[in-house]
Amino acid sequence: MTKDNTPITRQKFMEEFRRYQKGSITRRHFLGATGLGTAMAVMGGAVPGLMPGRARAQDLGNRVVLATWPNYHDAANFDMFSDATGVFTQVNVFGSNEEMLAILQAGGSGWDVFVPTNYAISTYVEADLIEPLDLSKLPNYDPAAFDPRFADAGTINGTVYAVPKNWGTTGIAFNSSRTGGVVDSWKTFFDGARDQFAGRVMVHDYQLTTIGNALVYFGHSFNSVDPAELADAERLLIDVKPHLFAISSDYQPSMRNGDAWLTMCWTGDGKQMNDDMPEIGFALGREGGEIWSDYYAIPKSAAHREAAYALINYLLDPDVNAREVLAHGYPVADARTNALVPEELLNDPILYPAAESLNALEFGAAVTLTDPNRAELMARFKSA
Amino acid sequence: MKFYAIAVYSFLYIPIAIIALFSFSAGRSASSFQGFSTEWYGRALRNPFVMEALGTSLKVAFLSAVLATVFGTMAALALTGMRGRLRAVFDTLVLIAVMIPGVVIGIAALIALVTVFNAVNPVLEALMGQRLSLGFGSLVGVHGMFTMSLVLLLVRGRLETFDRSQIEASNDLGANPFWTFVQVTLPQIAPAILAGFLLAFTFSFDDFIMAFFVSGSETTLPIYIFSSIRRGVTPEINAIGTMVMVASLILLIIAQVLLRMGAPQAKE
Amino acid sequence: MAQSRIRALLLAPAGIWYLALLVFPLIVVLIFSFGERNPIGGYAPGFTFEQYANLPARFAAFRNTMTLAPLGTIAALLIAYPLAYYLAVKVSPRWKTTLLILVIVPFWTSILIRSYAWIYLLGGNGIPALLETLGLGEFRLINTPFAVLVGIVYGYLPLMVFPIYVALERLDKSLLEAAADLGTPPWRSFLQITLPLSMPGVLTGSVLVFILLTGEYLIPALLGGGKVFFVGNALVDLFLQSRNWAFGSAVAVALILIMLVIVALYTRAIKRFAYGARRDDAGLI
Repeated sequence: MTKDNTPITRQKFMEEFRRYQKGSITRRHFLGATGLGTAMAVMGGAVPGLMPGRARAQDLGNRVVLATWPNYHDAANFDMFSDATGVFTQVNVFGSNEEMLAILQAGGSGWDVFVPTNYAISTYVEADLIEPLDLSKLPNYDPAAFDPRFADAGTINGTVYAVPKNWGTTGIAFNSSRTGGVVDSWKTFFDGARDQFAGRVMVHDYQLTTIGNALVYFGHSFNSVDPAELADAERLLIDVKPHLFAISSDYQPSMRNGDAWLTMCWTGDGKQMNDDMPEIGFALGREGGEIWSDYYAIPKSAAHREAAYALINYLLDPDVNAREVLAHGYPVADARTNALVPEELLNDPILYPAAESLNALEFGAAVTLTDPNRAELMARFKSA
Repeated sequence: MKFYAIAVYSFLYIPIAIIALFSFSAGRSASSFQGFSTEWYGRALRNPFVMEALGTSLKVAFLSAVLATVFGTMAALALTGMRGRLRAVFDTLVLIAVMIPGVVIGIAALIALVTVFNAVNPVLEALMGQRLSLGFGSLVGVHGMFTMSLVLLLVRGRLETFDRSQIEASNDLGANPFWTFVQVTLPQIAPAILAGFLLAFTFSFDDFIMAFFVSGSETTLPIYIFSSIRRGVTPEINAIGTMVMVASLILLIIAQVLLRMGAPQAKE
Repeated sequence: MAQSRIRALLLAPAGIWYLALLVFPLIVVLIFSFGERNPIGGYAPGFTFEQYANLPARFAAFRNTMTLAPLGTIAALLIAYPLAYYLAVKVSPRWKTTLLILVIVPFWTSILIRSYAWIYLLGGNGIPALLETLGLGEFRLINTPFAVLVGIVYGYLPLMVFPIYVALERLDKSLLEAAADLGTPPWRSFLQITLPLSMPGVLTGSVLVFILLTGEYLIPALLGGGKVFFVGNALVDLFLQSRNWAFGSAVAVALILIMLVIVALYTRAIKRFAYGARRDDAGLI
């Protein structure tokens, strides 16, 4: 799996790739021009399970269902995966770990691969919903290449249940032409929502960040389940609610068309909007907030298990992963992938904030997902 | 008065027209028109997810409508002219089925089926290596349960208005009941049955909320559209929507023509 | 004897279907509503009235539903009545069918797509931008109760027009002519003849729309931005986010009870307005 299989320079590759993304050339042309078609064939020979003789392809079946988050993949990668393996990827998009958990708990999700966040994994294990991963089927996963901070949560009691996808932060995206400058504190966020930004602010549609950032506003821990502290957060949220633009985890459309000026925002979404509209900036809340890491996992109910392994393995391939990063703008904790990503991306302040601003951030805690008070607080906030 | 009517019709049709208009937009943005193009139609038709969702929706709609029409018509035949407790029970069931919100039916079916599946799956898996799960079957079942009630009401309505003396005449002439049914009753209620089928089909094809809960691993077209709207939109959704609207329109016209054929007494 | 056996056979499939996917699920909901929330979500067996005691926590959702549903019904009625009157009384027979079909067509196109159109129209680049260009000031329409109301009226208007039209269509026009011959002013004959005779249609339409609105989920979800919650939205949230099946079941039972009360009141009202043997077959379309 070396770069030598690609007989064009990285720069040329990226040019062709951007043209492909914009839709000005077809996939066939792209694969031909970049030599990826042949690369794919070679890779397939080298990596068991990725590509096939016919018999192999039959083992994989022809489909795999992926449950993931909005704006989180490069569609071209799935096309290449199906070209290489004959497995066709169906992508379902969800807006919260709660929703994913609810659907898996109800059974019959139909998913083969899904993308839980660090704090949710132990609950899935406890509820017996995900299976331990057979690492022999994931040769592209090299634990040594990953920053353990963003890989540890996938291992529970020594068993690997999930492998890292991307990491990031949850900060604030602001439209500077409307907000009159950088918004980098939850104080300004929530106070502004009731004042100068009334009717233009969005918060997430799930408990962790919405309640967490309201807690941080008061100087409490992002992960608090203390009833008195949660009561503070509830007061703030209920007070702010009438002045919000929306409660939704899909904030890109509203931010882009100017309806919303300010939103809770994940790293890569901030990067995507910033790339297209430089007036939309991204900053971390000074008081704190969330740092997170997403993982690939396989539900126990997966119907296409072999295809699920093949897909995860494919997406963990550093070349593929690098293309993912270019498309969605979320950092990876994989040193091999980062070696392939353009220098300027690794220096991007949105993707890689200064170390000291990361210090204030907290990983979500598993207890927030199962704490009935936080769940009910969020539900009351939404139905208020 | 006329201007008022024009205003209301504009209210009804301008939003639809705008959807259709933007489906011909050349740009990626679904909110500003950037030159005429049919590109998005091509894309929608080539998009395998759209095609698969469409296929699922059509299969579910067809199968559930066939079952609903057959069983609904059978029940309507039995209930016509019937009295007593059983009739009252069925009247109540039909009323409940059409009255309870789709969201409640969907959730109730979800938790009931999941509870049953969780109970029987360990046994099934041990015996046959199979598991029950939500999907095609539950979609057909829940849609059909609801649309069967619509068919039942429509067909019973027709049965109650038609002239029973013909049946009596046929019986008097010595025809057996089956022959009477085929020769006399069926032609009279056929338009109602067909209209009921189309109604059932359209309902199932358009339904989002029940499918949202019981679709399991299947994706129907409304579910696909809903998640596309949620994750931000391209004119592709407009193209899909426009095609769906045109198709529904054609079905509706067919249904109207059929109903009219069977009701020559309707005033023009 | 043979006849009743045939009847039983004809009824059996429908009966089994209702039992499996209507009666049984509703019984499960009822049982679950007395249970408890599983610590990691879902349902844990139990017998408690806790869930019902907690219903006031969804007061806002019930209040929203019980204000916006009647408002939407009244708005739809006010818009629909003149149109139905126009179609039934004023339009020449040649155009009647076409115009009537044109009212129904939108109803048989996906509510998703139609609500999506209003996301456009009410969003920042739609009507608000237009109003701003006209110098009428800055407006924000999307994600407000108003947006939900517009979506509701738009979604259910056809359902209101049709029954009223059917009632007015049956109106004996010679009555009006007689009244006119006797020198009754048109507004009086409208109030004394037309309006009372169209009441069954008005009632049917209103109840149909009101019932559907009470269980609405999609329109508030798409046009309310997660801020305007109906009971339906609270219900979905309880199953898909907070995973509190027991409380969700209690909310569902409460919603069903509200519907039952509405239907009971409606049946009584219809009986009071029963004019002769007028059959109410307009409710189907």
